[in-house]
Amino acid sequence: MVDTFNSLMMGFSVAFQPQVLMYAFFGCIIGTLVGMMPGLGPLAGISLLLPATFGLNPIIAIVLLSGVYYGAMYGGSTTSILMRIPGEAASVMTCVDGYAMTQQGRAGPALAIAAIGSFVAGTLGVIGLMLMAPTLASFALRFGPPEYTALLLMGLFVLAYMSGGSMLKTLAMAVLGLLLGMIGIDVMSGYTHFSFDIVELGDGVGIVPVAVGLFGISEILMTAGQADPPKVQQPTLRQLVPTKADLKLSVGPIMRGSLLGFMIGIIPGSAHIISSFVSYGIERRLSKHPERFGNGAIEGVAGPESANNAAATGAFVPMLALGIPTGPVTAVMLAAIMVHGILPGPMLIQQQPDLFWGFVASMYVGNVVLLVLNLPMVGLFVNLLRIPYAYLYPCILAFCILGCYSVSNSTMDVWIMLVMGGIGYILRKFGYDLAPVALGLVLGPMLELSLRQSLAMSGGDYSIFVQRPIAVTMLVLGLVLLGLALKPLIFKSKDWRSSVGLDDPID
Amino acid sequence: MADVSGQQGTAHSGGLRSDQVSGGVLIALAAIVVWFNREFPVGTLADPGPGYVPLLLACCLGGIGLVVVFMGARTEAMATMRWPEATRALIILLACVAATFALERIGYRLTTAAFLVFFLGVIERKHPLSVMLVAAGFSLGSFYVVGTLLKVPLPVGPWGF
Repeated sequence: MVDTFNSLMMGFSVAFQPQVLMYAFFGCIIGTLVGMMPGLGPLAGISLLLPATFGLNPIIAIVLLSGVYYGAMYGGSTTSILMRIPGEAASVMTCVDGYAMTQQGRAGPALAIAAIGSFVAGTLGVIGLMLMAPTLASFALRFGPPEYTALLLMGLFVLAYMSGGSMLKTLAMAVLGLLLGMIGIDVMSGYTHFSFDIVELGDGVGIVPVAVGLFGISEILMTAGQADPPKVQQPTLRQLVPTKADLKLSVGPIMRGSLLGFMIGIIPGSAHIISSFVSYGIERRLSKHPERFGNGAIEGVAGPESANNAAATGAFVPMLALGIPTGPVTAVMLAAIMVHGILPGPMLIQQQPDLFWGFVASMYVGNVVLLVLNLPMVGLFVNLLRIPYAYLYPCILAFCILGCYSVSNSTMDVWIMLVMGGIGYILRKFGYDLAPVALGLVLGPMLELSLRQSLAMSGGDYSIFVQRPIAVTMLVLGLVLLGLALKPLIFKSKDWRSSVGLDDPID
Repeated sequence: MADVSGQQGTAHSGGLRSDQVSGGVLIALAAIVVWFNREFPVGTLADPGPGYVPLLLACCLGGIGLVVVFMGARTEAMATMRWPEATRALIILLACVAATFALERIGYRLTTAAFLVFFLGVIERKHPLSVMLVAAGFSLGSFYVVGTLLKVPLPVGPWGF
């Protein structure tokens, strides 16, 4: 505990450097603006800003990008509450009661509770990250290729179980992502897979063009031709103050949402989206007056907002401790760290303590910055929403092209982005979740390498996966979850999704 | 009435269903991967080659596609699927293709300016003055911020612009 405290103090000495503070501040502002723009969620924002971090030192780069991440999570809630436009998918549940409160003239308390809930959840999430990541990292030092293979397989099975929509379609998208990850040079044999004699594909398909295409471009294609957004309400500073009753009603949902969000955040998949749905379902079930939900219940804002912010922090635990992303956002952030020659994983905390603890401390700082900055400036930020969508989307498209080109100064990445944008549009029309594609793309090469290394270690004996206790535990856990995911498909029964209002798993 | 008939169409009309089509595409994609994967040695179960994992994944994709097709009978009929944004989406994609093609040939600033003029002036039919201001301001401003301040090399056309 003393060691953790000392390390955290060292982290604060890094985070309080004026330059780091300044970038945390900018990250939060950019993130808030990005989160408020329809079509630009946290993922597209981080992807587009990635090239600009190449010239920065790794601590500043990750502080800036994580500022964008949780700033965007907050920004998404502002548009959800004021305009019923979820800036990003995790804010969908906030729309329901947040916008109902706005219609009742209570936008101020909804925004304030969303900000306070995000702050509390973010802070508790950082404490969880601080306590769990080093423990998990030291445990992961025992991992060899069989354990990593089992871990990655378990992650994919958990993804299928926890997916927001159809389990089959989620698995199909994860496999599609894994196949995309096969493109490029095979490190064990030197063969180049599926490059079609295109030199740039020798290095594989980058996460940034795939992410921007699937999430940014496809969103614009989906919303093409829509009317301008409706008028925006601008609450004054005084209207932002929640009543005692609001605060009393929100304490429980915020605490429950924080805990739930953090735990779900550690699991692979669209954690922050799922956590907000699950939190909303739980709060509605626990409420003495569930009929208030959907009609402006403040618990319906407090719970999901806290959950999605805690999940955003929870997602950093496996990323930093194991070097394994749990979703597209952490996959892009992983790429951002690796650009600087740093390999996230169990050794990161020992070899780069200043980076890890500086990052943890900067997250505390970022949470304070978001709370202090966003509430008083909400009136200023919503001015962005006054820009007609007809002007906004061509500029977003130009930013997407610019951002993808800048990653490796190659139009190949832009072509990949456009192809993925078109594919993403069609997949969305057919009801496929796109997040597993991005996750599979990153996990694919890791899975192939660890599987083949494991078999090389065992001389081709597959029993290596059941002879090692950690590997077999993870495989059994993954298979149990896969079985649970398949159960409603086979027996036509309902599963956890229907109880929280997510899609039917079969459809 | 239109809604009612639409619902009836969804529930009872014949023809292909959305999941049957998408599942079929997954199977076709799996077959394409298997076809291109034949160039790589698959190896054995004990000693997998570079073609092993792609083949395994293609088989998984094909298998999932098959289940999606079989379970897709209750999904929306293709005939009733609505694509109101498809034409605009196609125009957007084609404009992006043209911009990507031009990017390294005429430079970032001219490409972006032309791209924005096309969208704002031709597609959205905005006032010419605001179109020119946005196109010039965005292309020059973003070049200054990203190219000059952040030192990210951006393509410059043959006229040095």
